[in-house]
Amino acid sequence: MKGILRTKIPQALDALSSGAQVLAPMKINGVSRFACWGQQGELVLGASNTLIPPKDAVFGQTEKMYKYQMGQEAVTIEEIPQDGPQLVVFGIRPCDVRSIQALDQVFLTKGFVDQIYKTKRDRSVLVALGCSQPQQTCFCSSMGINPLDADGADVMMWESGDTYSLEARTDKGKDLLAKLEPFLTDVNNSSPPSPKFSLEFSMEGVTEKLQKMFEHSIWDKWYRKCLGCGICTYVCPTCHCFDIQEKNIKDGQGYKFRCWDSCMFPEYSLMAGGHNPRDSKKPRIRNRFLHKLRYFPERYGMLLCTGCGRCLRECPVNMDITRFIREVREVTLDV
Amino acid sequence: MCNGDCGNPLVPIPGKLIKIIEETPDVKTFHITTDQGKPFTPMPGQLGMLSIPDVGEGMFSITSQGQEHLEISIKRVGVLTDALHEAEPGQPVGIRGPYGNGFPIDKFKGRDILFIGGGIGLAPVRSLIGYCMENREDFGKIEILYGARSPEDLVFQEDLFQNWPKAKDTTVYVTVDKGNDEWKGNVGFVPAYLEQINPSPKITLLCGPPIMIKFVLQSLAKMGFQEDDIVTTLEMRMKCGIGKCGRCNIGSKFVCLDGPVFTLTEMKDLPPEY
Repeated sequence: MKGILRTKIPQALDALSSGAQVLAPMKINGVSRFACWGQQGELVLGASNTLIPPKDAVFGQTEKMYKYQMGQEAVTIEEIPQDGPQLVVFGIRPCDVRSIQALDQVFLTKGFVDQIYKTKRDRSVLVALGCSQPQQTCFCSSMGINPLDADGADVMMWESGDTYSLEARTDKGKDLLAKLEPFLTDVNNSSPPSPKFSLEFSMEGVTEKLQKMFEHSIWDKWYRKCLGCGICTYVCPTCHCFDIQEKNIKDGQGYKFRCWDSCMFPEYSLMAGGHNPRDSKKPRIRNRFLHKLRYFPERYGMLLCTGCGRCLRECPVNMDITRFIREVREVTLDV
Repeated sequence: MCNGDCGNPLVPIPGKLIKIIEETPDVKTFHITTDQGKPFTPMPGQLGMLSIPDVGEGMFSITSQGQEHLEISIKRVGVLTDALHEAEPGQPVGIRGPYGNGFPIDKFKGRDILFIGGGIGLAPVRSLIGYCMENREDFGKIEILYGARSPEDLVFQEDLFQNWPKAKDTTVYVTVDKGNDEWKGNVGFVPAYLEQINPSPKITLLCGPPIMIKFVLQSLAKMGFQEDDIVTTLEMRMKCGIGKCGRCNIGSKFVCLDGPVFTLTEMKDLPPEY
C-alpha cells in the first residue's frame, strides 16, 4: 500500500497547488476551516474536525450569479462564469463527505440542476481522512456513517503513526495519486483501530415516529431556550438554504448573488404583505429538526444529519439534537 | 450575454413591460415580453419569477398569456411590487420560469366546474378559466363566484361583467363585502353567497385570502363537495423557484416545485404550516 509521511504533506500540497485549488483544514486566526493551501495558517489533520464545514467548497457562502445593467430601453444580464481549476478537498472527514452527498441530492436532482453547484462539484476531488478518534460530540456512526471509510470519497486516507496510507477509490482519485507519486512511499497495510464513540444511539423508527409528532408537546419544551442565533445552521455541513439578493454598485449596475441563509431567522419565511407561516421560534425549531430527521428522508431517502457534532459544540445554549432524538425515542404515542 | 439559454435556471431572461392595466387602486396587470417574444409558455396555474434586477425578484402566478406576452396581475404589498406599480410601459424587467405544477387540467376535463376567487386570488383562477374558454368543448358548465372588499376592488371587470357572462354555459356571480351607491349586485362575504347559490357538488377551484379559504372550505364540506375535487393554491416565500433554496417547504413538499396547486386531500397530508 502507498502512503505519505506526515512531514511530506506540505510539499505534496504545494505540488498539487500548481494545477489545482487545494482546500485543506487550516487554523487561521483561531478558527479552523477548509482554506486555500498556501495561506498563512496551520494545517490541522488531528482528531478534531474543522469548526466551519467544507460545504463552501461546492456551495459558497456567497456566490455571485450574474451582472445586470439597467438601461432606459433594456436590461442586460451577463452570467458570471463559475469555472476554474480542479478543486482538491484534502482531509475531508467521512461525515462531511456524506454532507456533500446530501447536497448532491438537493442541487442535482428533482427536475432542476443547479449549474453553479454542478460546476464546482464536477471540479472537486475529495481526499477523505478516516477518523479513529471521535470527539465527545461526534455521533456519525449513529447516523449510519462509517468513520473509517467514506462512501463517496475519491481517495481514502488513514493516519498510522507518522504516515498516512492512501487508497484511490475513483478514476479522479487515481489521477490525483499519480500526481503525488514522487512523495509516496510503501507502507504497511495496518488497519486503523476501531473508533469508540461516547455518543451512540439508534435511529430506528425515528423518522416514522416524527411523522406523527408535528403537534406533539415535545416542541413546547424544545424551542424555549433557543436564542435564534442561527449558528447551528451556519456550522451545519448539510444546511443548504440560501437567499438571493442584489448588490447595486451605481447607475442601475450591479450583480445578483446568493448567500447562505438560515431557517432560524424570522425573515426566512416572511412574505411580502406581512404573513409569516413560521412566525415564532417554535415552528422554526420544529421545521429545522423535522427537516433533518423527517422531511429530507421523506424526499430524498437519507437523513440530513451526518453526526458531525458541530451544532452540539457551538450552540450557546446547548441545544443537542442527539438528546432530542433520544427523547423522541422515549415518547409513547397514543394509538 | 444571456438570452435565456445559458443553462443556469436562476438567471432571468431580459424582458420589458409592454402594457400596464390598472385593475383596482392596488392591483395592476403587467404584460411582459422579450426580444425573442413570449418568455415561455406556462400551463394554467404555473408561476413566473419576475424581477426589476436592481430592486428585487418575486414569484407570481401567471394569470393569462398571448402569442407574444405573459400577463401577471400584482397587488401592491412590498418593495418590489411598489416599484412595479410605479413603473411605466417600457420598464426593463427580468423573467424566468415557468415554475410549479399548474392545475390538474385532466381532472377538470369533461366536468362541470365551480371557480371561486377572492380578491387578487382571481388571478390564478383566471388562467384556468381562460383555458376553459379557449377549449370550451372539453369542459362542462362553468360557474364563477368572485368576491372583493368593495366594487372598486373588483379585478378583471371586463371578464366578470362582459366576456364571461356571454360565454356558453357560463354563469358569473359577483359579491362585495361592502357596496356603494352605484353597486346593484350582491353584498356579503363569499362563503355566505356560496351557500345562498347552493351549487351541487362538482370539481372546484378555489383561490383567495386564507380567511376566505377557511370559511369556503367549511361551506363546501356542508354542501357535500368531495375533498379530492377541491383544488387550491398555496403561497410561501420563495427565492429560487426550483426547489433548492429551502424556504417554501411545507413538510417535505416545496410549494415552488410540488405546488402551488394542491387538492384538499393533498393539503390534509401536509403539516398545517402555511
